[in-house]
This record gives sequence, C-alpha cells and structure tokens, in this order.
Amino acid sequence: MASIPADVQKFIEQCVALTGFCEFDLHATGMGQTYLETARDQVGSARFEEFLKTLAQREGTLVKPKDLDSTDREIARAVVYLWYTGAWPRLAETAHTELRPNETNTEFVVSAGSYVEGLVWHTFNGHPVGARPPGFGTWSVRPAEPPSICQITKECGLSQKHEEGHSDGVEAAVLARLRHPGPLTARHVPPSVVPAARAPRQEGDPR
Amino acid sequence: MTVERTGEQVHQGRYDAVIVGAGWSGSLLAKNLSERGWTVLLLEAGEGGTQTWDGYLESVATFRSAVAKVPNSAYHRNVLAPSPDVLDLSPRPSTGNGTPPYTAHGYFVQNGAHPYRTDYVRALGGAGMHWLGAVPRMHPEDFATKTRFGYGRDWPITAADLQPFYAAAERELGVAGNTKEQRELGVITDHDYVYPMHEVPTSHIDEHCRKIDGATITDGMGVERELRVTGLPQARNSTPNPGYDSKKGYRPKGAVGLPNYGERCVGNASCVPICPVQAKSSPLRLQHASNDKVTLATRSVVTRVLSARGKRVDGVEYRTYTGSGTKAKAGAHHRVKADIVILAGHAIENARLLLHSGLANSSTQVGKNLMDHPTTLAWALADSQVGPYRGPGHTSGWEEFRFGKGREKRSPFRIEISNWGWSWSTGAPMSNVAQALGVGGGKNGRVKDEGLFGPELRWALGDTIGRQLQLQIAVEQPADPRNRVTIAPDRTDAMGNPRPIITYDLHDHVRKGVYAAYIASKGIFKELGAKEMTDHRPVDGVPPLGHFLYDGTDLTYQGAGHGAGTHIMGERPEDSVVDSYQKTHDHPNLYAVGCGSMPSIGTSNPTLTMAALALRSAERIHQDLLALRRKATVGAGLKAAKEKP
Repeated sequence: MASIPADVQKFIEQCVALTGFCEFDLHATGMGQTYLETARDQVGSARFEEFLKTLAQREGTLVKPKDLDSTDREIARAVVYLWYTGAWPRLAETAHTELRPNETNTEFVVSAGSYVEGLVWHTFNGHPVGARPPGFGTWSVRPAEPPSICQITKECGLSQKHEEGHSDGVEAAVLARLRHPGPLTARHVPPSVVPAARAPRQEGDPR
Repeated sequence: MTVERTGEQVHQGRYDAVIVGAGWSGSLLAKNLSERGWTVLLLEAGEGGTQTWDGYLESVATFRSAVAKVPNSAYHRNVLAPSPDVLDLSPRPSTGNGTPPYTAHGYFVQNGAHPYRTDYVRALGGAGMHWLGAVPRMHPEDFATKTRFGYGRDWPITAADLQPFYAAAERELGVAGNTKEQRELGVITDHDYVYPMHEVPTSHIDEHCRKIDGATITDGMGVERELRVTGLPQARNSTPNPGYDSKKGYRPKGAVGLPNYGERCVGNASCVPICPVQAKSSPLRLQHASNDKVTLATRSVVTRVLSARGKRVDGVEYRTYTGSGTKAKAGAHHRVKADIVILAGHAIENARLLLHSGLANSSTQVGKNLMDHPTTLAWALADSQVGPYRGPGHTSGWEEFRFGKGREKRSPFRIEISNWGWSWSTGAPMSNVAQALGVGGGKNGRVKDEGLFGPELRWALGDTIGRQLQLQIAVEQPADPRNRVTIAPDRTDAMGNPRPIITYDLHDHVRKGVYAAYIASKGIFKELGAKEMTDHRPVDGVPPLGHFLYDGTDLTYQGAGHGAGTHIMGERPEDSVVDSYQKTHDHPNLYAVGCGSMPSIGTSNPTLTMAALALRSAERIHQDLLALRRKATVGAGLKAAKEKP
C-alpha cells in the first residue's frame, strides 16, 4: 500500500461507514486523492481535519445524523454526495456561512472522470449514463436485486449494534424515512437543490 | 469526402447551390445534390471539431462535466452564433399584473403567455447532434387534421406521396425498427418494405409495461383505448437486416473519425445529448460520405439572403469569426453566389433569416405557426426493480392515443416509456442522493436533522432508483399563427444579427390533450401497480416552468426540441410560404427546408419526415438546376455550356 498516501488511505477508511461502500470499492474509483483535496478546498484544510478527527471517534461503526453536530453533519453529507455523484453539492446556508462565506455556494462537478466514478450507479447495479456501456441489448436483461442492508453492512465490515431485528422491518423503516426528489421546476436547478417529493394532493386539499 | 474550407477561403465563390446550415436537411441535400454532379457550398454558423475523433471526445467530456445534463450540455456556448438553451428559462411567481410566469435569458427574447421550452444547437450537425434518434413515420391522418378532425392545417401532399422518400430517408439515416408493428400502425404501407436494421432490442422496462397489454385506459377527455406496447423505430445501429433492399442487406455506418467503431449501440444511455460511440446516427456521417463537390465552411454566420433581379435571389452574405465559445472574435463580411439558395437552418433560424432579408413573406406567414410537441411528464415508483438508466432513451411506447376518434376533441398524444428513470422530471438519480442524505438544508437554511448514511443510504437508493418509471407524453400542437417568431432592430446578438423574439402559448386543443394525457398516465400507473409520484403543483408558491391549470388540475409541459411551422407549406401563395417542394412561393430559386415547412407534426418526432421532405426537394432542385443549365445553353451557346464544370 506504499503507493497510497497515508492521508488518502485514512480518508477512504473513514468514508466506508459514511458511504456504505467498502474500502476496495472506494479505492477502485481512483478518486480518493481528488475528493480529499476537493473537500479540504471547500471546507478549509484545518476545519476538514477537525471533521475527520470527530469522525475517527466513531470508526468502524454506523453513523447516524444525530451523532454529528450540524456543520459536521453537512460536511459528511457533502463528502458522501461527492462519492456518489462526483459533484460537490450546494450546502445548507448556515453551514456554508460558517465554512466558506466568501465562496459561492453552488453545485459543481469535480471533473469528467469523477462523474463517471459516481457510486450512485452501483447502488442499483447500473452504469454511469454516458460511460462504461454494458453492451448491445443488455438493457433487456432483468436487473439484479440490490444487496440488503445486512449484506452491505457485513461487506463494509461495520458493527451492527444499532441494527438488530428482521431486515424486512428495518428496510420498511428506512423507506419510511427516505425522501424522494420532487419536481425539477426548471432545467437549471442543480440536483442538490431539487425540492423533496410531496404527498399527492388529496380531495379537498387547499390549492 | 466533403472538402473543408474557411469562410474566408470561399469568399466570392460561385456554386450551383449554397446551403445555409449543416444539420440533417442541409447535409442530406448537400450529399444528394453532389451525387448528381452539382457543386454545393455548405455554410455552418457554429463551430466544427466533432468531425475529428479527438474533437468528439472533447464534447463527451464537456457533457460529463456538466451539472445539468441538458441537450446542449455537450457543446459550449458560442457568443457569435448563439443557441437557445433550456437553461435560459426560470419560473417566476405571479405578480398578478399580467407579467408572464417565467423569465428568459439568453438568445431568445420571449414575450408569450408561456415559455417556448425548446432548444437547438448551432454547431456542425446542428440539433442532429443532440437528438434522441427517434424516427417514427407520420400517420396518413396526420396530414389532414383540418379535413378529418377540424383543427390545424392540412398538407398539400399525403402520406402516400412521402412513402418512397420515407424509405430513402431511412436508408440515409440508418434506421432500425420492427416493420411489422409499424405496418400494423398504418404508417408503412409498402407490403415488401423492411427497415435496414432489425429493431433495437426493447428494454426490461418495456417488458415490465407489457404485462398490462390489453388493459383499457380512458384519457381525460373520455377517449378509451386498449393498450399494447409498441417498439420505436430508431436511427441507431442495431443488427442489420439481411432481407433489406431485396436481400442486398445493409452495412451500418459507424463513427466519423474512428474507423470500425460505433457500428452497434452498446447502451451508453446518453443518446441525448451525445452518443459516446456514435452508434446514434448524425449528420456528420453524411458529410463524411459526401463527395468533393461539397465544400463545408464552419464559423460562417449567414446574415442575409441577397436579392437579384426580379424575384430571384443571388446568393448569401455571411460573416466569419475566429476563436470559439465566449472568446470568439467577429471577422469580415463575405458573399458567395449560387444558382439556388437553400435555407436549412432550424425552423426558427430560417424564419429569422427570411424576416431579416425581407424575403418570401408576401403571405405574411413567415415566422408564424411555430410548433413543438409540448411534453408532459408522469412518474411513478414500480413495484419491482425495472432497470432504469440503461439503453436508448426510449425503446417503446403506447401509440393508441395518437390516432382516430377523439382527435376532434383534444390533441392526440404519444406515450413514450422512458428508459432513463426520473432524470427529466426530477433530476434523478443525483437528486435522489441529495434528498436521501438530506444535504442542502431546509427552507430556513439550517442543516437538516434527518437523512441517511452508510448501508441504509446505499440500500435505499438502490431499492428506489431501480424502480423509477417515467412516461414522456408528447402532445400534438397544431399550427396557430398566434405562436410566432419575429425580429426587432433593437434586439440583436453580439454579432449584430437579430435575435428571435418568440411569442408562444398552449391553446385550448393542446391543453385538453395535455390534460387527457395526464389522466391516461394515472390509469396506466394504477394498472401497473406503481405508486404515482407525478407532481405539477407550485413549489413554495412558485408554479414550475410550463405550469397551467386545466379545470383546476395543475399541469406542466416541457419542450421536445421539435420546432416547426415557421415557413409553412401550402398550395396557395396567399396563406403559405413554401410549396410542397419547400420552394418559396415568392422566389423561384430560394428554398426553405426543414421542420419549418411542416403544416402539422402529428405525434411523430419530426426528423424523419423532415429528411423525407429534404430528399423530395433534392429531386426538384436537381430539375431546377438542369432547367437553368438548359436555359444557359440556349442563351450563351453550346461552347459556354461546355466550359461549365
């Protein structure tokens, strides 16, 4: 592992619990160094070190939003967004004001290569749109089921002390907490600014 | 192969034909006319570059780096040959004093009640670079909606007149399709015909939808249809059909600039805006296949058509530039002469040029009758993994609401089954990541408490993104003179050329069609056991772009990129701009070709019909040129004629 700088190695180890992807998968993107630099650049080097220190206290266990104070929570989300999409998102205003008040708070794609390495495509056994084509006619094939939470947790080598019980019940509870994206109200709205989906309108709802 | 020259180099040249715009129509005509021995100059306002493999890869990288992967995201903005972009429009809260519910920045000036949401790109290949590659033929009844259903305008020709040209266009574009299905739909009438290539395999999503074949759905205007999933003909390389062309077969044409590449679709799933392997057909192929009687000059912005004696035109004036994008620098004005001038820009560009040149407008119809396919989106979560974001944009649809009884009540519509999840409707799958994480803060700007991390996040995204269904329902918009393009002296671009001023709205027949389609989508999702997620309501009091209310129901429309109607075709010079050969009524040697000529566009993506019209025009232009030569022979004697190249 001599070829991998220590800070990148450490960063990747710490991103396993945040992303739900194992160390090997994160390395395989080839983006560790780039993302570490991007995060340092966006958050400030000292502040990002502080964040990583806080995260280190929880190493090897699952991370819940309430485990982190609000700014650390937003940094963690931005880092995961980076891994999943190859882009740095727009941050919550309060976090942005605290971290980088003099920079614009807007989503950007780190590079053409980072887009291709987005992990979101792996979650549903897909491929990045516009890259890594799976071959003629593969779109006809029945897609594989994504792995369960239990399988993912095991694969990542994370302890499961918070996740006892039947996986069906756990997964239903996760779906109940999950927010879907709502309508893209204009084409220039970046993905990280799209509003949450709303409950369908019922008879008698006010307009 | 096409000869490439700069605009400066071709200055003062003389050609049999000059063609303005190197998109589908222009490239088809250039190839066809040069094969008949005529010299052709193809002037393109935009930049080239994509005809080399390195240049093409640069466009692929530009697309990958874009935050909003919209149709123009593979091309940078050029200030001297500007393009309209769907990113130019923003919604605006109603102020109640009659201001429109949107703002428009960029190339188009828009002053209509609702935004014209369609773009195009001024670059080598034109919108034929970012198109999807969907090539359904129009149905016989689409050509006569006025006579048959009492709305819109009739064509001066019929579907039967176009059949041979449709077949010729399908060869030039390289079409893969299921001939039997299209024959059953009634759009192919030749019993012996087969497409050059077997149909592009349909998607697993299509298969998922096929389980409700036979279900009866009622649309919002009470029109009832029994559903059957039907494949989409596509200009995309698939498996060649050995039975094509009396068993001569068909050899797919692949990438330009990289031999033996792109001869079959490999499922990049990014046809719009760019196919990384060029398995999707583009005008670059035609330019590559043309002979050296075609000269191409990019970065040559035609500013006006030049009048000659009498009703004839003489050539065009154009202005060159150097550099690219925002750093482009305007150069000098130039002129070329030609016996035939052919405007083959986008419908809106052709209208703009005619208006600015003060030509072909004795009917006062130039710029009027602007159309698109207003497209309403419907989206839902399926009950199982369906495999979105794989394969071409859509491989099948429901065709039943396109034809027949009911058109008199509301515009017909074609239901495209999307293979690309909720990307168009919600910005997915990136927006799924943002929402699942809870990044970006709440309305108060504070960091959100709730959100997912780690294994829960990965699982939830996989489970739900993998179940995304989206329908894109394209609604016919009839010709209506109120929808129009104009120009004004004080509205110019950086080169001083007039910008298109667009006045646009959705009138009653279309609105009914959009509503009917929305209700049909609800019925479909119910049959599929999918959870409907469609939402056209205002967000925080601001109606989304393209929002309108129909009978109290919130609806929105998108643009389809199908601009048409602006130099409308007809028999009578009093109420139309071009004849059925796309020759202007007013000028015997000026043609305006493209979707701008179409009196109606039915529910078919218009490129194939446009290509068929271009090939039909090529025959007439050839005859015109022959007649001119005969005349020259008689006038100047045989010797002079022999000196002609």
